[in-house]
Amino acid sequence: MSPAFFLRKGDLMTTRTLTAVTAAATAAVLLAACSGGTKAEGGGGGDRTLTLASVDQGSVEDVVKAFEKANPGVKVRYTTSGADQYQQQIRTQLSSGTAPDVMSVWPGNGNPAATYVLAKPGYLRDLSDQPWAAGLPDAMKSVAQYEGRTYNAVFGQNGIGAVYNQQAMAKAGLTPPDTWTKLLAFCRDAEAKGTPAFALGIQDNWVTQLVLYSLVATTVYGPDRAFDQKMQAGQADFTDSPWTTALEKYLAMRKAGCFQKNPLGTNYEASQQLAASGKTLGIIQGNWVIALLKGKNPQGTFTLKALPATDDPSATLIPAAAGAGYGVNAKAKNPELALKFVNFVMSPEGMNVLNKKQGSLPTLPDTGYQADPALTELSKFIETNRTVPFMDQLWPNPKVQQTMLSGLQEIFSGQSTPQDLLKDMDTDYKAGS
Amino acid sequence: MTLASPARRARTTPPWWFMAPALLLFAFVVLVPSARGVYYAFTDWDGLDPHHSFVGLGNFADMVRDADAVQAIWHTLVIAVSITLVQNAVGLLLALGVNSAIKSRNVLRVFLFAPAVVTPIVTAYLWRNLLGPDGAVNSLFGAVGLDSWRQDWLGSADLALWAVVAVIVWQFAGYSMVIFLAGLQSVPQEVHEAAALDGAGPVRRFWSVTRPLLAPAFTINLMLSIIGGIKLFDQVYALTGGGPGHATDTLSTLIYKDAFTLGEFGYSIALAVVLTIIVAVASTGQYAVLSRSERAAS
Repeated sequence: MSPAFFLRKGDLMTTRTLTAVTAAATAAVLLAACSGGTKAEGGGGGDRTLTLASVDQGSVEDVVKAFEKANPGVKVRYTTSGADQYQQQIRTQLSSGTAPDVMSVWPGNGNPAATYVLAKPGYLRDLSDQPWAAGLPDAMKSVAQYEGRTYNAVFGQNGIGAVYNQQAMAKAGLTPPDTWTKLLAFCRDAEAKGTPAFALGIQDNWVTQLVLYSLVATTVYGPDRAFDQKMQAGQADFTDSPWTTALEKYLAMRKAGCFQKNPLGTNYEASQQLAASGKTLGIIQGNWVIALLKGKNPQGTFTLKALPATDDPSATLIPAAAGAGYGVNAKAKNPELALKFVNFVMSPEGMNVLNKKQGSLPTLPDTGYQADPALTELSKFIETNRTVPFMDQLWPNPKVQQTMLSGLQEIFSGQSTPQDLLKDMDTDYKAGS
Repeated sequence: MTLASPARRARTTPPWWFMAPALLLFAFVVLVPSARGVYYAFTDWDGLDPHHSFVGLGNFADMVRDADAVQAIWHTLVIAVSITLVQNAVGLLLALGVNSAIKSRNVLRVFLFAPAVVTPIVTAYLWRNLLGPDGAVNSLFGAVGLDSWRQDWLGSADLALWAVVAVIVWQFAGYSMVIFLAGLQSVPQEVHEAAALDGAGPVRRFWSVTRPLLAPAFTINLMLSIIGGIKLFDQVYALTGGGPGHATDTLSTLIYKDAFTLGEFGYSIALAVVLTIIVAVASTGQYAVLSRSERAAS
């Protein structure tokens, strides 16, 4: 309610003064708005300034510093923000022609700032002729390219698995299971000891997909690596595929007591707290959670292992994929500097700084990167080609994933069934891009 | 120099063009963008591609078929109505309480109003923790032996919507209280005394003296809470994100998700147009009814 509500009529002096002040202020604002353009051009420092928008909060700062040091006289003006905020802001900037020279771009498809989404209307510059583009492994190329041209400098990859709290495991006297049968037994044993196996914080709906992706990697892509191509060709769908098996296994894990009570009321933050403090033996998450767990419990030791979904340990696959990389604005004001920055990100120096800070693994081989010992198993799986991309990265539109995320919450809260969910996902998938 | 009589001065209307600068600015920052925005409700614009096609009423037709949208409209109405009723009932009771002669009334007024000055997003994050499975609310029930009352407040599809309503009432009841309190204090003491002399008891005095004189406060409070309730976004988004599933999605959270997560800007703007219409209809209707009863009361 405005203070004007309490004003009495007739205080002419006050009203007049107010009007004058408002008019003056309005004029000032309008004048400032008109002169904005020239001022920015005059004070921008010519072509030695690069503009950058990034989602790599806490790690891109170091890269910017190193880049400025390596290129004396160059100034990088950058902004960092969280993924949600970034995705809405970059769309607005791109459509109004005010986007920065270099920007974070997600691999593949399926989110509003993903490679396919931005490359299709021509907002990204083709990076195929850059020295690193040909060296990307095939799994990375599939999500960094659109129609055979490379648009995304993907520098790091992440995997999803069971992250165990070593101290809690030792206390419970249990070891990480490597088969499905052992996994269920492990959950029951853990529950019997009063410490549930895994923390699950699915109040934040993006967390719901992680266990499912881990199970889908082995059950769907184990028998059929070409499942995505079949989906794209319309020869397969979610409902009649082992996605059904994976969903059943997710619910079987819940039934076996693999997760703490009330996962829907537990958020991501609270789930980290459970795993870090040893109130659960671990958490099924991406490798990025390790740094967060260490932040909450600096004395703790955490290790990432593959989550088994069958009784053949050699058949287990890990979902692993490129994280957000960098793209160059097709209308960059400073294209040379933009390319220079992206190439710096893809150099061993830039790549190692970013990956070390983010706890991820480099996308290019031979960077001399010393991986965190917690990620030994993930590195091994990547080296032996036992990984599959995150499922959503090759879906035709962002709706499939959103339907899956809210649908999983609905299954956990008894509002929906696995059959209904997969049917809805099929409908959204078939709606195309 | 001759001075105009007060009566003449009051009749003089300033020239219309005095409004021009303000009107231009208003048109530039509100009217034109809104009109352009409404246009996109009839397109399939994805917020990114400069090309889009005109789809007529297609987005509105999709809305009727979209179970999530229908559910969100229902949630919006449930939230708006229950907040309006509960928040104002609680606000009125609190106002009556702190308007009495109790000693600590000033301290109480401050404490009861305090939540209203906290940013909604902060309140929401606070309650998200308090209402967690191991949060303070459940611990409190456990401590006093009411274990069966312990619930997954924000994780249960049946409870989450009501938990959201409760948090908003907690935050804004003090706000309603202040407006009622201002109204109560404008009721002349003599009228109360006269009524008491005529033999009216406290209930009768409230109903026949206080209530009619509070009519303007009711109008403001009901208007503010119904509009606030229909537009509700931050608290829902921070408390539950619209979940579990879509159990607490309101029109506003759906508009946000459809636009910024799914890139369906045309559809999302169509939803926003519906929201605008609902707010306009609800507030004009309510204003007409309340101001009529206000006039009848005075």
